[in-house]
Amino acid sequence: MNVELTELTRKFGRVRAVAGVNLEAGPGVFGLLGPNGAGKTSLLRMMATALPPTSGTMRLLGRDPGAYGPRREIRRRLGYLPQTLGYYPGFTVAEFVEYFALLKDMPPRQVPRAVAAAIEQVGLGDRARAKLRTLSGGMLRRAGIAQAIVNEPELLLLDEPTAGLDPEQRVAFRALLRDFGQRATVIVSTHLVEDVGAACAEVALMDGGRIVFHGTPAELIARGEGSGAAGDAPLERGYSAALAAARSVAAA
Amino acid sequence: MSSDDLLTGGHRDAGPHDVDLDRVWLGVAEQVWRRRPGPVERAAGRLLRSPGLARALVTTPSLLLGWVIATAVVLIAGVGFTLGTGQPWVALLAPAVAAAGIAYAYGPGIDPAWELSLSMAVSDRIVLLVRALAVFGLNAALGLVASAASGAAAAVTFGWLVPMTAVCALALAAATVTRSPNVGVAAGSAGWLIAILAGQAADGRFTTVVTDSSLFLPYLAFAACCCAVVLAATRIPRGTR
Repeated sequence: MNVELTELTRKFGRVRAVAGVNLEAGPGVFGLLGPNGAGKTSLLRMMATALPPTSGTMRLLGRDPGAYGPRREIRRRLGYLPQTLGYYPGFTVAEFVEYFALLKDMPPRQVPRAVAAAIEQVGLGDRARAKLRTLSGGMLRRAGIAQAIVNEPELLLLDEPTAGLDPEQRVAFRALLRDFGQRATVIVSTHLVEDVGAACAEVALMDGGRIVFHGTPAELIARGEGSGAAGDAPLERGYSAALAAARSVAAA
Repeated sequence: MSSDDLLTGGHRDAGPHDVDLDRVWLGVAEQVWRRRPGPVERAAGRLLRSPGLARALVTTPSLLLGWVIATAVVLIAGVGFTLGTGQPWVALLAPAVAAAGIAYAYGPGIDPAWELSLSMAVSDRIVLLVRALAVFGLNAALGLVASAASGAAAAVTFGWLVPMTAVCALALAAATVTRSPNVGVAAGSAGWLIAILAGQAADGRFTTVVTDSSLFLPYLAFAACCCAVVLAATRIPRGTR
């Protein structure tokens, strides 16, 4: 298992953003769904080692991120796209991707080829030498994805990766996700249930800091059948039904 | 017409069939997009034994050319005032200027990709340390040149380096704890101003703050405390398992 979380909790003051999450994930694409404030971003930030948990156990790629040496090893093998991508406006796309390749401790000789490959994979080859400040939102998102995959990560964490991408780019991106899922654990946090249906083998639904559903997209669809839950597509109805069921249990 | 056709002018039999065009293109792109590090970055890479750290160092906001020029202009103005008034303005300005540079060296308030940097193998704490030391070193060098150019007495020329250490450490600690470079600048400048005014109140000379060697030990102790605060603020707690 590349991700093993046991009773993982993160508090911000009195607010429990993540409240005792248990999760195991091996290679494949794993979708993380949930409404705003469900705790998806906090969970992803903890798995990216950017945010320490308040309590609980976390093992990533078979290592303990709480210790310096293993944490550094995890980070070398990690790709992370945050929800809000900070960038250096004066950098070109190639310089931006190269910067993070170097910070990931990639061997310098491998960096130029890896940068070129990552930029091509996200379809930004024609803008590789363009300054980031000249790019559209969708292109910036793709530059962010390129930096996340530049080191061929074994654990790829993507927070709202398809935000700002047009339909054609989304289709290409899902193909890229499926390709990465063959050899790595890809965890995608998204609001877009169609992304989950198209690319993910497993899905977890979060609400109030907890995982309230964990299964396959087909199982989530089954939750919605005959439930009368709101939604235009089967997966949306499954999402609504699972969420409603979890909330009624919590309220009881 | 396919890309193979474009390569062979439509004469498929004339071209090699085992050419992997994607691979060829990647080789071309690699060469075309490759960035050549400048001499400073190459030297830093050798010194730090980490190309990533060297790259992080040369992107320090307060080491960019515009900032360095602004620092030099302030110190040149200080030289002018010192020569004109006979008061050691350089010694009083240099610590405040250095504190501003340190506060703007690294952190969530100034580094746009801070969130990403937190998940990188090259630790953000090491980046912070290296950048802060580089900014301090550059400011110390510029300040010493300006101080020497202003014809200050030797005690004044070197005396401000110790309080500068304390002021910079205060600015760094405030910027790190509050995650705001502006708060760091404000804390450093205010701390330095209070020290100058306290020195003047004690014996009527505002240069006491840089000439009284009995203050050096308290300055260094204060700087050490501030560094401890920085280390505490940037540590990732153990016990995630």
